[in-house]
Amino acid sequence: MNELEQSIRQVFAQVWAQEKGSAAPELTPDTVLLESGLDSLGFAIFVSSLDEELGFDPFTLSEDAFYPQTFAEFVAFYEKYRPKA
Amino acid sequence: MRHLAAELGAAALAAPGGARLERGDLAALGPGRAVPAGAVVAFCLSDPAALIRGVVALDGHAGAMLLLSGALAREAAEALIARAGAGVLVTDRADLAPGCATVGIADAAVAGGVRAGDAQTRWLLTTSGTTGLPKIVAHTLGSLSRSVYRFGGQAAPVWGLVYDPTRFAGMQVTLQALIGGGTLVAADTHLPLAEQVAALAGAGVTHLSATPTLWRRLLMVPGIGALALKQATLGGEIADQTVLDAVARAFPGARVTHIYASTEAGVGFSVNDGQAGFPADYLNAAPGGVRLKLADDMLWLKPPVMAPQTGGATVEIDAEGYVRSGDLVRIEDGRIHFLGRENGLINVGGVKIYPETVENVVKTVPGVALVQVSAKKNPLTGTLVLAEVALAPGAEAERVRRAIQETCRAALVREAVPAIIRFVDGFETNAAGKLVRITKGAA
Repeated sequence: MNELEQSIRQVFAQVWAQEKGSAAPELTPDTVLLESGLDSLGFAIFVSSLDEELGFDPFTLSEDAFYPQTFAEFVAFYEKYRPKA
Repeated sequence: MRHLAAELGAAALAAPGGARLERGDLAALGPGRAVPAGAVVAFCLSDPAALIRGVVALDGHAGAMLLLSGALAREAAEALIARAGAGVLVTDRADLAPGCATVGIADAAVAGGVRAGDAQTRWLLTTSGTTGLPKIVAHTLGSLSRSVYRFGGQAAPVWGLVYDPTRFAGMQVTLQALIGGGTLVAADTHLPLAEQVAALAGAGVTHLSATPTLWRRLLMVPGIGALALKQATLGGEIADQTVLDAVARAFPGARVTHIYASTEAGVGFSVNDGQAGFPADYLNAAPGGVRLKLADDMLWLKPPVMAPQTGGATVEIDAEGYVRSGDLVRIEDGRIHFLGRENGLINVGGVKIYPETVENVVKTVPGVALVQVSAKKNPLTGTLVLAEVALAPGAEAERVRRAIQETCRAALVREAVPAIIRFVDGFETNAAGKLVRITKGAA
């Protein structure tokens, strides 16, 4: 697991704890994000919290209209738009 | 306009996996004995199809119908029932104990029930405010169905209902189908979204209306392509180009429409070219006989007929009859784009939030010296609430963060609870006396 994916998992766990007050479920590559248990507001908070933590938001950077469905797609989406050092 | 059962078009109501009511079944619905004529009736139902049967049966019989979301918290539901002075509650929930008679839908809406006369029933809908209790706004069947388009027999659409029908947008879709003609498929909003989508696709839904926030969520559902839409409508929030493109790409056969509506002016219009904003040509001629003008980035609208003002809101009208919309806009490349609300009102997925209200709650938290609440752009909900906080000397950031969240959660609707809390070293004021954040060392 690379550093970016680790950060994403960490922020997911934080947002989950904040929104649901419980321990976050395990995310596997095939986890469908919508079925993870976070509702649309929770998911929006997750994306904005990642923006705060990582300093970028691929949904805003992306030119094409793409909405990732699984966790693996989500991580790949962030990988693709990660600012090059 | 007569009561709803008398105004039905070639309509049918389908609950996925449940019963289907044809026009004749719907038209035959009337009040049960449990509901006296002229009563104020509150509905709090988790089954949207039951709510729709209820309003068809009781419109023209009840004095007023208070439509409460089936998901409303018990305390809020009971407070609103009392505030509306309801004499009967129709519910499928066991936890509500209002001080009035409580019946199930089967006793409130019965086949062959007879209305006492044809009263003008008031429709009481709720709007979510920034703080706990929703506001009650009175409508009539006429005011709610003003924009209904009446379809001819063959082209009758199949509408998917994914909004809560107790809310303004959801009731608009409901009345469009019932009065305009077509089948209304009410999704079971308790199911995971993927199952709702599968049910809507299975029912042959061709027309779907949702907020941009909900569309973005729908587009993340595997199997969304199974919906064979002819019409996709976005409303209730600013539709950006990304979401319009994504909807168009997901439904190549669909007409994509986004709607601008001004509650201040009581009018709206739709845009069908798939581009964000609306053509600047609308300043010369807008759809529906609405007239538009801009002054200092502010959009002013002149409705063809001045709507009666509801909800006690004060609107500003100029000498020529134009209503100040409160929406800030910008002209760019022949399009008029929406920038947001002039008073800093934050729209989180369709829920409108006053930053000052949130600031006043955050200020009460020990350890908070100064706070500024603003909108943070979010690609999924349009915006989220951002609180920038300067700590009092000696206060510990993580403890204050948790206290802010707990305090806000108790006092505010969920959308108004700051999603992002950022600690700053301090604020300075600019020439206009407005707080300006000092950016160094922001955590």
